Amino acid sequence: MKLTQNVSKADRKMLNRIFWRSFTVFASRAGATKAHAPGFMYSVMPALDRYYKGDPTGHREAMQRHTTWYNITQNVGTFVMGLVAAMEKKNAETKDFDPEAIVALKTSLMGPLSGIGDSIFWGVLRVIAAGIGISLASQGSVLGPILFLIIYNVPSILTRYYLTYAGFTLGDTFIQRMYENGSMKLLSKAAATLGLMMIGSMTATMVTFKSKLAIPIQGGKPIAIQTYLDQLWKGLVPLAVTLGCYWLLSKKVNVNWILLGVLLLAIVMGLVGIV
Amino acid sequence: MLPTATLAALCVFVCFGGNWLWGQTMIERPLVVGLIAGLMFGDVRTGILMGAALEAIFMGAVDIGGALSAEPVTATVLATTFAITLDVNTKAALALAVPIGVFAAFISMFLKNVVMNVFAPAVDRVAANNDPRALTWLHFGMWFLNYFVFSLVTFFSVLAGAKPVQHLVTAIPQNLMAGLSATGGLLPAVGFAILMRMLWSRQLSPYYFLGFVLSAYMALPSVAVAAMGIIIVCLQWLLDKQLLTLSQSRTQAPAQPTAVADQAKEEEAFFE
Repeated sequence: MKLTQNVSKADRKMLNRIFWRSFTVFASRAGATKAHAPGFMYSVMPALDRYYKGDPTGHREAMQRHTTWYNITQNVGTFVMGLVAAMEKKNAETKDFDPEAIVALKTSLMGPLSGIGDSIFWGVLRVIAAGIGISLASQGSVLGPILFLIIYNVPSILTRYYLTYAGFTLGDTFIQRMYENGSMKLLSKAAATLGLMMIGSMTATMVTFKSKLAIPIQGGKPIAIQTYLDQLWKGLVPLAVTLGCYWLLSKKVNVNWILLGVLLLAIVMGLVGIV
Repeated sequence: MLPTATLAALCVFVCFGGNWLWGQTMIERPLVVGLIAGLMFGDVRTGILMGAALEAIFMGAVDIGGALSAEPVTATVLATTFAITLDVNTKAALALAVPIGVFAAFISMFLKNVVMNVFAPAVDRVAANNDPRALTWLHFGMWFLNYFVFSLVTFFSVLAGAKPVQHLVTAIPQNLMAGLSATGGLLPAVGFAILMRMLWSRQLSPYYFLGFVLSAYMALPSVAVAAMGIIIVCLQWLLDKQLLTLSQSRTQAPAQPTAVADQAKEEEAFFE
């Protein structure tokens, strides 16, 4: 395909390594605060090693900025890995590049890419594959499981491969152009805007809380507290907890204490019957 | 019973751990797990049939963003093991599979989201030490630990047998269960707060709340939120661009364009 031929030999070598490493991106999950950050770091490491060769400080900073929460449907996430590789390249080559734009862009892509990826691969492809698999397997045929695996994995792995290249090529040309017409500052701002919006959206959908507390009323239906909370402000508790964590972080409170606090809060709420 | 339990646990480790170690290739789905468990216990046909029945049941159980409604691997392995080695009839084994799946999903969620958090500081430390090798060890070490511990659940369940497992699943205090599963819901807040630390500025903070409201109140899917975000960013961009060119023409500084041109030349030289 044209996409894979437009890159240099050294680029191709690096991208192929990222592609192979990306299969392990979800092997570890470092808790809810970082999720798959280690897998992401491991996957893009060929790019960091290449572009920050002989620059230990740059390499360290690059590793540190990618320790944040990461989660994208894995065979679509390679797009972001390619893109990050292109941006890290630019950051290593130029002095006034704003590295925060890398994290911002990565963050802003997580929600939408997962949304598309989950619905195509989990919602459609897997269901089709399983449908065919079940119909064969329920007659006791070994072909059921085997066809299931083939139907799901062939398109999925091809997508993973080509998106690695697409992310890199797109990132490379896009960022180059931004740089040439001096809109790099604008790009940082745009990425941060989009990133914040997507974090807001993820706060609403992925931080969840539901109270089962109800006030009994004589001769009437009990009043569920959650309904009132929702009327007051939908997602009040998730938003409050997230902003509370943010506030504590900006007050330089250790992350582990915050984590422990959230954990205890949830368990205590469970024990006293709030959730 | 010991060899059976070991085999069953191995089956969970290979299917569940293998699925996540390498590419989420769906070898954790009941269809495949049933086949493998059937192979291990010498009754391929029963394995495949159980797999087909359970695949239909667990079709909706998908791990999206680490939140899981039912965990199909443990459920399939235990149901198949009980059916083949303990002669539990297929219907009863299938019925047992669902509560086991829900319970196992909870254990898996708790392991991955809460217990594995103890390694989060280690990730930071490895990055601060600029040590890719240690990162590799950490990455795969966490994988092994998580799935090894998780397959112990199956090991002890098979040792205990079908009846006690059923009792246990129903005997956990509900309050504790509710509290523990609430932790999974609230913990991502910390992760998002860390992300916000990097992007937050007073000027841009309204966009965070905009994203929140769009998802919480309008229940827009994230693709739609992103699309609106891109539109906003484009408008903002045009405005900023105008301001930029305006301020540049005001100051009438010819120094800047030349600097840019020089840089472009330098870059060309670099790329050659």
